[in-house]
Amino acid sequence: MAPATPFNAAEITEKARRDLLLLLEGIRGKKNLVLEKALAGPLNLLVKFSTLQEYGVDKPFFLENDNTDASQRNVVFLVRGEKARTVMRVADQIKRIRRESEIEHEFSIFWVPRRTIVSDQLLEEAGVLGEASVSEWPLYFVPLADDVLSLELDETPSDLYLRKDPTSIYLAAKALMLQQRKYGLFPRIIGKGDNAKRLADLLIRMRTEVAAGETSSNTGPSFLGLGPSTTIDSLIIIDREVDFPTVLLTQLTYEGLIDEVFNISANQTEVDSSVVGGAAPQPGQTGSASTSMKRKILIDPKDSLYSELGDANFAIVGSLLNKVARRLQSSTERNSLAAKTTSELREFVARLPGYQAEQASLKLHTSLAEELIKHTRTDTFTRTLEVQQNLTSGADPSTQHDLITELIDRGTPLPTILRLLCLESTTNAGIRAKDLDTFKRAIILAHGPQHLLTLQSLETMGLLTPRGGAALAGGTGSTVKPGSVTNYTPLRKTLRLWDDEVNEAQPNDISYTFSGYAPLSVRLVQSIIAKQSLAQTIKPVAPGAPPSSNPLAQGTRLFDDAAKYVRGATFSEIQTGDISAKALRARQMLSGHGDAGKTVVVFFLGGVTRAEIAALRWVGRKLVENGGEGRGTRVVVAATNLLTGQGLVDGAEEKGVFKA
Amino acid sequence: MSKPTANWEKVGDKFYRKIQLYTAVFDQDLELENYKAVAAPYSGAVGRRSRHTAIYRDEEKLHTYRGPGAARSSIDIYSCAGKLIRSINWDKGSIKGLGWSEDEKLLVVTEDGTVRCYYDLQGDFAPFTLGHDSDQHGVVACRFYTTGFVALLGNNHLVSVASYAEPRPKLLAVPPPDPVVAWNIIPPAYSLSRSVEVILAIGTTLYVVDATEAEDRNFDAGPFRHIAVSPRAEFLAFYTDDAKVWVVSGDWSEKLSEYDSRVKTVPKDVQWCGSNAVALAWEDEVHLIGPKSAAARFYYDGCVHLLPDVDGIRLLTNDVCEFIQKVPDATVDVFRLGSDSPAANLLEASSLLEQKSPKADDLIQLIRPNLAEAVDACIKAAAHEYDIHWQKSLLKAASYGKSVLDLCSSDDFVDTCDTLRVLNAVRFYEIGLPLSYDQYRRMTPEKLVERLTNRNDYLLALRVADYLHLPTSHIHGHWAQQKVRVSTDPEEEICTLIVKKLAGKPGVSFEEIARAAYDEGRIRLATSLLDHEPRAGKQVPLLLSMKEDTIALDKAIESGDTDLVFHVLLHLRKKLPLASFFRVINSRPVATALVESSARDQDTDLLKDLYYQDDRRLDGSALLLSSALSQPSLPQALDKLKLASKYLADSRDPPAVFTRTAIDEAQRLLALQSQFERDLQQSTRDIPNRDNAAVSLIGLSAHDTIFTLIKDGHMKRAQKIVSEFKVPEKSFTWLRLRALVASRRFIDIEEWSKQKKSPIGWEPFFNEVLAAGNTRVASMFIPKCTSLTVGERVDMWVKCGLLVKAGEEASKAKDRELLLSLRDKASGSAAMEIERLIGALPKGR
Repeated sequence: MAPATPFNAAEITEKARRDLLLLLEGIRGKKNLVLEKALAGPLNLLVKFSTLQEYGVDKPFFLENDNTDASQRNVVFLVRGEKARTVMRVADQIKRIRRESEIEHEFSIFWVPRRTIVSDQLLEEAGVLGEASVSEWPLYFVPLADDVLSLELDETPSDLYLRKDPTSIYLAAKALMLQQRKYGLFPRIIGKGDNAKRLADLLIRMRTEVAAGETSSNTGPSFLGLGPSTTIDSLIIIDREVDFPTVLLTQLTYEGLIDEVFNISANQTEVDSSVVGGAAPQPGQTGSASTSMKRKILIDPKDSLYSELGDANFAIVGSLLNKVARRLQSSTERNSLAAKTTSELREFVARLPGYQAEQASLKLHTSLAEELIKHTRTDTFTRTLEVQQNLTSGADPSTQHDLITELIDRGTPLPTILRLLCLESTTNAGIRAKDLDTFKRAIILAHGPQHLLTLQSLETMGLLTPRGGAALAGGTGSTVKPGSVTNYTPLRKTLRLWDDEVNEAQPNDISYTFSGYAPLSVRLVQSIIAKQSLAQTIKPVAPGAPPSSNPLAQGTRLFDDAAKYVRGATFSEIQTGDISAKALRARQMLSGHGDAGKTVVVFFLGGVTRAEIAALRWVGRKLVENGGEGRGTRVVVAATNLLTGQGLVDGAEEKGVFKA
Repeated sequence: MSKPTANWEKVGDKFYRKIQLYTAVFDQDLELENYKAVAAPYSGAVGRRSRHTAIYRDEEKLHTYRGPGAARSSIDIYSCAGKLIRSINWDKGSIKGLGWSEDEKLLVVTEDGTVRCYYDLQGDFAPFTLGHDSDQHGVVACRFYTTGFVALLGNNHLVSVASYAEPRPKLLAVPPPDPVVAWNIIPPAYSLSRSVEVILAIGTTLYVVDATEAEDRNFDAGPFRHIAVSPRAEFLAFYTDDAKVWVVSGDWSEKLSEYDSRVKTVPKDVQWCGSNAVALAWEDEVHLIGPKSAAARFYYDGCVHLLPDVDGIRLLTNDVCEFIQKVPDATVDVFRLGSDSPAANLLEASSLLEQKSPKADDLIQLIRPNLAEAVDACIKAAAHEYDIHWQKSLLKAASYGKSVLDLCSSDDFVDTCDTLRVLNAVRFYEIGLPLSYDQYRRMTPEKLVERLTNRNDYLLALRVADYLHLPTSHIHGHWAQQKVRVSTDPEEEICTLIVKKLAGKPGVSFEEIARAAYDEGRIRLATSLLDHEPRAGKQVPLLLSMKEDTIALDKAIESGDTDLVFHVLLHLRKKLPLASFFRVINSRPVATALVESSARDQDTDLLKDLYYQDDRRLDGSALLLSSALSQPSLPQALDKLKLASKYLADSRDPPAVFTRTAIDEAQRLLALQSQFERDLQQSTRDIPNRDNAAVSLIGLSAHDTIFTLIKDGHMKRAQKIVSEFKVPEKSFTWLRLRALVASRRFIDIEEWSKQKKSPIGWEPFFNEVLAAGNTRVASMFIPKCTSLTVGERVDMWVKCGLLVKAGEEASKAKDRELLLSLRDKASGSAAMEIERLIGALPKGR
């Protein structure tokens, strides 16, 4: 039997689905489902609504709306139980329904992903614990694509960096533990960042703890005899904190741009139906009403057209679409039909449904792309991009201040401005105190005094700081603890973060994802799993010499060189389990696996952008092409959540305004 | 050695065997008819069974026979061999239900609806109540299944408990109130609805009750005196008033058989024996009814108890404990009289071989084609055999057959040998677990080890676990717990002994041992044991109950589980005065962060105190600012802002000064906004024709206020804001431009174009106006954009649709290329004009 593929998306989906349906099945009769808004996306990805209906779900409600009615005896809550606020909301709602309804209700609560002691305590204090039957739905990873797993904890960045609440680290560790239990220990855990280190420590700690908690009644493979996995090469943990600029930049891949402009959540995006209205009119929609309607579009990684487009730089999406359109036209054209033999015709007819689906998808993406072009043509967009490119290529930040001020004056939306300022601050280890105060004042004038709080939050997150407040990593002569800020100036050279000869159409480096800037996070990953080709990119050896002879590719030099300029702890742990080295070798021999087919798991703590995923996919493809560089070739991206710059600053933004 | 068929009984065309498991079970003077017996546990989904029998005195009978006063009742737990395991004194009123769960928990239900769940065999229990007015109506009877039970109350209400870990008694649908003649349940694992169903015999008919409805099955042959459900609920058996037994399929679709017992009295008990036969028990007589109404009868000297199990039924009398089951097919094959199956021949051949008879080989050759099958049958028959002699013979025969076969997997053989060794060991009367092979398979070896452990048979448990390569940590843990409970040695010695014994044995929970010690009141022992627990999280609850709060907090933080940290924090918050609470969390950043983030949602006062105590001025003022934002009206918000500003009054460091200025400015802005709002409201009221509602300014930023004011034509007031807050010239220009465009006052913009200079250049004017669609006004700004290149300006003209102007611009710059490209775009008179301009250009060099 071939060893199972670790981090298998289909398997994880299936398990989550089964778990939920089993829980629903346990409640007899029809039921109303109350779910947290944040869970609607993942739920939709895992289970179709029609399936839920088959399992007795009558009406869905959002917890936040507090409008659950008493139409069914059974009321099922599907909520995350980590936050006291949500727990209290559930308690309040149960109390309300109990008070208002005339019939007696059966309440069930499915905590996601686990039942917490605090939730029990709070429910008990609210006097509803006795009334609800409580179970848990262990939903950790939600697969968004075959190689992308997300915990869908959208609040992670603000929890972790603003409120310093490490819950998501613990949940991430739990999720990774589940995978280790199945496929063996990660032979190596390597990474960068203080929180990442905490996660790694937690993983190691949990291993001993889980082993200690093992009882004979536990089914499944035991942790006691668990050795390093033979199918996974390593786990690379990147703390978002080490590389904020990548998030703050505007993503320039097609998928990234859709996320920036329309916002993708759980593979779904909402677009004004006037944009894509023609593609599939919804039944019961009247002509006049449809103009302002939003339509949900599924961004389907399985769609063949989209899989081609998604990771491409937006600049070439137009020509890609043209190519597909031409191909479709030539293969479906009428006069070419006449020339066909009957067998060719039969084949053609058999493929017709495929063509139709492709047509529809082509139409959809063409109109989406047109809409995006409209957006990228705006003055604000081009100017923002200009500032971003200048900042990342290493221009003196003060030359950009006029442009930023003008953007503020133009009434550009606050997040855009904040992203630019944060970008400047994070790439240059802060903004000069005087300039910073000027900008702060300008923002308060332009967007209101409540943003005093926003600015303070950004400072807490380390996104917008005065220069000198924190020391550069790798720098000397500072009073503050070194390594608290990433120093981009030397990194630009050591890791070649800026690429002047970027080629968007035929990418030869990950820099294509940002039309010039190569994301630091992905560079760090490259320096571990693809160090030879990275060394070639940075400083090619003489032609003819094998790439492995590049002095930069020796040992962990690249990673070590870079890591000292990057903020936070650096770590590399080897997990051997309780198995002797000899047995391990024997096991590896038996499994007959070279390093080539192994999986590398890249975990982004604090969120990952779609452009980074595209970049990592590119790295993975290259590794497959040249047969790997000793560290496995299948790259799986896992993250606490998917993130855009907008989402990052959004967590800090104060939403309240003064009321009359 | 008796023939294995000696205890066989033919029922219809099937054989049943009655295996004598143990003799001399109880004292002869124990009046078994005065006791009720329940065996652990009833067969069920996964089928775990054990050979425990719990007996308690049936009080009603006790009263009738001995009169009141003599009743000192107790619950006695015996092994099947009659060994007393535990005796629990009972003084809590009348017991109405007694049953076992699949993991050997003993449940005792009293009349007033109190349930005690004895989770080990040591007499420790967890109580809960049934609720649903069970204390008023009284519990009449209970029926148990593997993980739960249903109680019938005096008012015919049915209360179901589905799990003992978290008992949540639920009321099922309400059946009619007439007296219930008999009842039984279908366990959730086997019912169609996947939840527990109850069958009630009321009047002459039957009702099926589940959580939502009570359905009348419309029978009229009742009243039914007994209802029995087969182990997997595939069949139902009813005993009618006229002494007949009906067997109905589990889906109620057809009646399978009917048997007339011709006995006048109603049997004491009706139970299924496996899934094939129904056993009826009177005081000293048992009928076994197979399919097609065939029957066998057994007679006893004393009172008989029926203890059903998944693959058969146990009979218990004072003298013997017997097991009746259908003879497994493999066994029938081998032992049936006159059997000529290959297996029977193989057994015969093997015994001939032992007698050194040459006929052995002849026999083997005879069954040669079916030899593999014969070996298989012998192994299976051996597995099902209770008698060690026959186990041996069968295995020998199998082994002989194997040696003749060329290719044969020994896995089954080895497996069966292992299993039989274990089974024979636990069947030994001192252990008293007479497991059948099927039961063992369904129970799983792990559970068997667990049972042995629970019974404190540690040595056997360890041996079995070692023999079957199962983890032993649980056994050690259990032993250690027992040790700390009962040992009288000095505490240090116990601790060292336990630690020494458990060293190098991962998987043992020291927390559980420590808790056991703590529960015994051995605090010091508990503390020293807890230190050996590797899981930080596990230590927390015990540490809390030991009042080691700060250690608990540290351990919770160490575990990384924020839930635990919260748990400890909530506990501390309730227990400690505020000041010491802050002291505890201050040195622990994670705790502080968690307190802050949760208090932000729920308890801002706490946060305020925290910031005050720590002198975190900026955070304190931020808190006030955010509470100002949540105030419902302006005066209250202003009050808060004042407080926020005052909070920072003595602070001199730059961020505080900056914040304070900003807060003060915010107050001024709000004051101005509300003043303007009032003024404007006044003025709109004076002009009756204007019906636009009062402008609302409060909540807007300075920029937006200016924008709104200009848009509505209140230039003066806008300028007031500009000067008040020193809005830069550039910003103001932009705002004014955008506001004028937004209100489409192009005349004002035209006016503006006459000025010489603009702080932001003229290009934005062009762009903004053009975007608003006014090409005429937009074009007025083109000549003013002198800093742009010719090409750009030409482009601007083109955007306004003024191709001729564009041409002129190009020709002024003498740019032929540009002109030529313009010509392609133009048409009609414009094209001619451009043609002319091209002509006017001096010809190229």
